[in-house]
Amino acid sequence: PCWRVMIALEEKNLKGYNQRLLAFEKMEHKSEEVMKMNPRGQLPAFKHGDKVLNESYAACLYLENQFKSQGNKLIPDCPAELAMMYQRMFEGLTLQQKMADVIYYNWKVPEGERHDSAVKRNRESLTAEIKMWEGYLQKTSGGFLAGKTFSLADVCVYPGICYVFHFGLCEERYPKLAAYYNRLKDRPSIKASGPPTWLENPQGQDMLKDI
Amino acid sequence: MRGQGVSHLSRLELQILGDNTKMGWGLLAPIRSQTVSRSLLYNRRLPHSSFTPYFFQHFQPPSGLTLPSETMAKDMTLLWGSGSPPCWRVMIALEEKNLKGYNHKLLSFDKKEHKSEEVMKMNPRGQLPAFKHGDKVLNESYAACLYLENQFKSQGNKLIPDCPAELALMYQRMLEGLTLHQKMIDDITYNWKVPEGEKHDSAVKRIRESLTAEIKLWEGYLQKTSGGFLAGKTFSLADVCVYPTIFTIFRFRLCEERYPKLAAYYNRLKDRPSIKASWPPTWLENPRGEDIMKDI
Repeated sequence: PCWRVMIALEEKNLKGYNQRLLAFEKMEHKSEEVMKMNPRGQLPAFKHGDKVLNESYAACLYLENQFKSQGNKLIPDCPAELAMMYQRMFEGLTLQQKMADVIYYNWKVPEGERHDSAVKRNRESLTAEIKMWEGYLQKTSGGFLAGKTFSLADVCVYPGICYVFHFGLCEERYPKLAAYYNRLKDRPSIKASGPPTWLENPQGQDMLKDI
Repeated sequence: MRGQGVSHLSRLELQILGDNTKMGWGLLAPIRSQTVSRSLLYNRRLPHSSFTPYFFQHFQPPSGLTLPSETMAKDMTLLWGSGSPPCWRVMIALEEKNLKGYNHKLLSFDKKEHKSEEVMKMNPRGQLPAFKHGDKVLNESYAACLYLENQFKSQGNKLIPDCPAELALMYQRMLEGLTLHQKMIDDITYNWKVPEGEKHDSAVKRIRESLTAEIKLWEGYLQKTSGGFLAGKTFSLADVCVYPTIFTIFRFRLCEERYPKLAAYYNRLKDRPSIKASWPPTWLENPRGEDIMKDI
């Protein structure tokens, strides 16, 4: 979610914004500073003047709406691409949820409530979801999620796709997803905002290597 | 159109027709061509000039001609289930944009019709709503709502405010609405979604506490926001997307005295035409739901 907002800001040429990197491991997302801006104690917490947009999708939609005429256009004019953009954007939330259910299982579920059957079910669900996205990229020509142009769908979903590969998803098994992931890695807005901790440690865990 | 009165016409259409209610031909004073041609185009292409003559008959166009909103809606198909907030969102949006006459089919979740071949063809996820405009598929309710407002900006009610502060609040509440909806679903569906061997009272308790905290947060939002709507003074996509969930929570007997602002919002919007017109039919037959949420 944080990365989405940073990509959007870069794409709209909004540089020089005030920003602070906080550590989840140190529970800094529950600090007073964050709670003041986001009572949910979640990141990102984003503000433009007195307008608070703590939901990453809300921030991205807002930025494109308000800064339509600067930077790159993130909402296509073509109705078919527009529809596809919105559809993939919101399906991206499902992908994120299923990914989190697998990756953060032990963090989120108290020990006494964990079950192998649930872990198995979550993995099967994520596998089906990833296969669906591989299919989407096979069917959609143009190289981007909505078609021929980079859009809010890519802003919102790319970080999640990057995440699954960072956790060991097999590139040979999902060639279209891997191609998309590798192709966009060097896009300026994405390169400029890539998670700094991942740069130091590019080989993440291999939790998803058997998916 | 015949005998239906004028309630389905947009404000602009009414204004124009009102000036020309005489039988026979009428001429319009120069009006911005874009708005006029879009709202009064009876299935014909008219030149986009700033002064366009129109030929009227008094509220009765020749048969076979339809209003543009009906024409566009005929390319739309909605597969839906009664009582599903996501389906309701799309129907409210369609009503707000004056898109009537769309093809639609009511399906039964109980009979597992959402997994039927007909649905799977339009939505491989086997979920409702399944929505299509021409060959554009929008099965995500938020995607459909955003798309409809974007493509039909100039007809019906404006659902995205111009004021940046209201716009920001609209997007924020819209997206927070997904959290509210998820927490409600987690609470309501626990017993039939979680396999027997995986159920825990501790989980039920935690889920209920999470929903309670969420509902309190929204009560707070309505206390802080003046104007009567989630984004402020005007009905917006935030209300389209979140009202169905709030309605559902009260249907499950959330205590109105305990959450007066939410209750006021719920009651105030109940009679909004778009909401009344798209009320879940099974709830009309059976207005009182189970009291799952009365202790929240």
